[in-house]
Amino acid sequence: MRIPRAKFFAVALVAAVGGLSSSFGGLQAIRASAQEAGLLEKRESLYNNIFIFGDRDQVTMTFGQNKRYYTESSMKLSDPGGLTVDYTRYMTLGVAYPEKVERIAEIGLGGGRTVSYLSQTLPDAGILAIELDKDVVDLAKKYFKFRETARLRTVVSDGRAYLLKDPEKWDVILIDAYRGPFVPFHLLTKEFYTLVKSRLNPGGVVVQNIEPSTMLFDSATTTLKSVFPSVDLYDGGGNVVAIGYDAMPVSQTELMARAARATERWKPRYDFRQMVAERRVLAKPTGKILTDDFAPVETLRAIEKNNEKWKEQTEAPR
Amino acid sequence: MSHAYLRGTLLLLLALVLGFALMGFEMLGSRYLYPYFGGGINTWASLIATVLVALMLGYLIGGALVDRTMSPRLCGGLLVVAGVYLFTIPLWVDPLFGWILTAIGDGMAGIVFAATLLLLLPLTLMSVFTPFAVRLLLVSISFGGRIVSYVYGVSTIGNVLGTLVTTFTLVPSFGSRALTMVFAAVTIACGLLMVVADRYLRGEEA
Repeated sequence: MRIPRAKFFAVALVAAVGGLSSSFGGLQAIRASAQEAGLLEKRESLYNNIFIFGDRDQVTMTFGQNKRYYTESSMKLSDPGGLTVDYTRYMTLGVAYPEKVERIAEIGLGGGRTVSYLSQTLPDAGILAIELDKDVVDLAKKYFKFRETARLRTVVSDGRAYLLKDPEKWDVILIDAYRGPFVPFHLLTKEFYTLVKSRLNPGGVVVQNIEPSTMLFDSATTTLKSVFPSVDLYDGGGNVVAIGYDAMPVSQTELMARAARATERWKPRYDFRQMVAERRVLAKPTGKILTDDFAPVETLRAIEKNNEKWKEQTEAPR
Repeated sequence: MSHAYLRGTLLLLLALVLGFALMGFEMLGSRYLYPYFGGGINTWASLIATVLVALMLGYLIGGALVDRTMSPRLCGGLLVVAGVYLFTIPLWVDPLFGWILTAIGDGMAGIVFAATLLLLLPLTLMSVFTPFAVRLLLVSISFGGRIVSYVYGVSTIGNVLGTLVTTFTLVPSFGSRALTMVFAAVTIACGLLMVVADRYLRGEEA
């Protein structure tokens, strides 16, 4: 028995060199980023490379990946209560949908600006932020004035694992769990959304931040729609906010009335009615439904598409 | 081509295919574990540790068995059992992992236990093949070093291909359950081949 020996060793050598050079590339990326101006802190956590950038008036939390920084959260020091990232204002609209909002859960804390805003705006609501990365919670407290209170708590856990373990129900579940550029596949599948639905009180809504520039968007909204009969979409300035609920689409008049009641009751800084006016209803889902069995998220994410294209799948609310 | 050359090629081919299936299934293991235990470094550590324990057990058991009886049929039978186990995974994995999550939690104990139930038995039985292949090929002590290096080298090439092809080509194209069935079928086919070609693989003329 003989194997072409030279070929065998050549293959082994190529594999070894390939492995070495790719890990070396990663090291360089981290070193280069440390020299960026305005870097306040860099932390390598169990899950992320977290970079906090800041200047006189702004602090930003980013996750570094592939030599790029992905903004997770941002805050103006002169106006810490404001929501500087556009889409996060639309995330708050979820609380205008249900009849009552007593319990809100958020998967993915970031700097904690959205939950802090909701906690201040809705003085009676109990809020739980489920965050995978303990260092993110620490940095939110250190740089983003995030404070836990009796009504605003955090738990360190994978979002799906937490919902599976804990049978409590919620009126609003916000999903904003990005790890750098992407959402982990198990937070995008039909099984996951079915679990989310089972953890919602009657009339409850799920609110998710979805990035619209790749084919993954189509699959994510289609999957959401396969579980929630109604999915509303809002253009959040770059990102799209999807709001799903387990009922036929609410009429525009009715939703506007709810938004008016919620605005009157809570006097939110960002008026719900203005946001409802921009509502689009997902009518023609064109993506493939993602399941735990088959969720080719990497492939779908690799296919870029026009940022505005998603609007073709929607119609004006009636 | 000489009889010994063909026999060696066949055994190395089996090492390649089984190495592919073994690591391919480890990558699929992550798809089964993520929904229940998250997709972090914890899940990967548990998965990798479990696979390494399976390799260790497989090598130890394989070595002990092959010194007692140099039977390709026995090794093939164990591979068939491994394949049948893989086949059944999609039937029980979801209820069982859901139960583990609530009963044990998503800490190290829970993830390692889940990974153990998922992988330990089939991967142990699959890695029993390696010492069998070494012993079957070992006709003379003076080739011992090279025999061991070929078997491990080729099976590791299978591992590398299984890892990369499964991750970058198979998982993005097919469902995890379907791929599990394919790896199961391939493992069973390898096992049946060893059972059928028992005498040939022993080095006796068929």
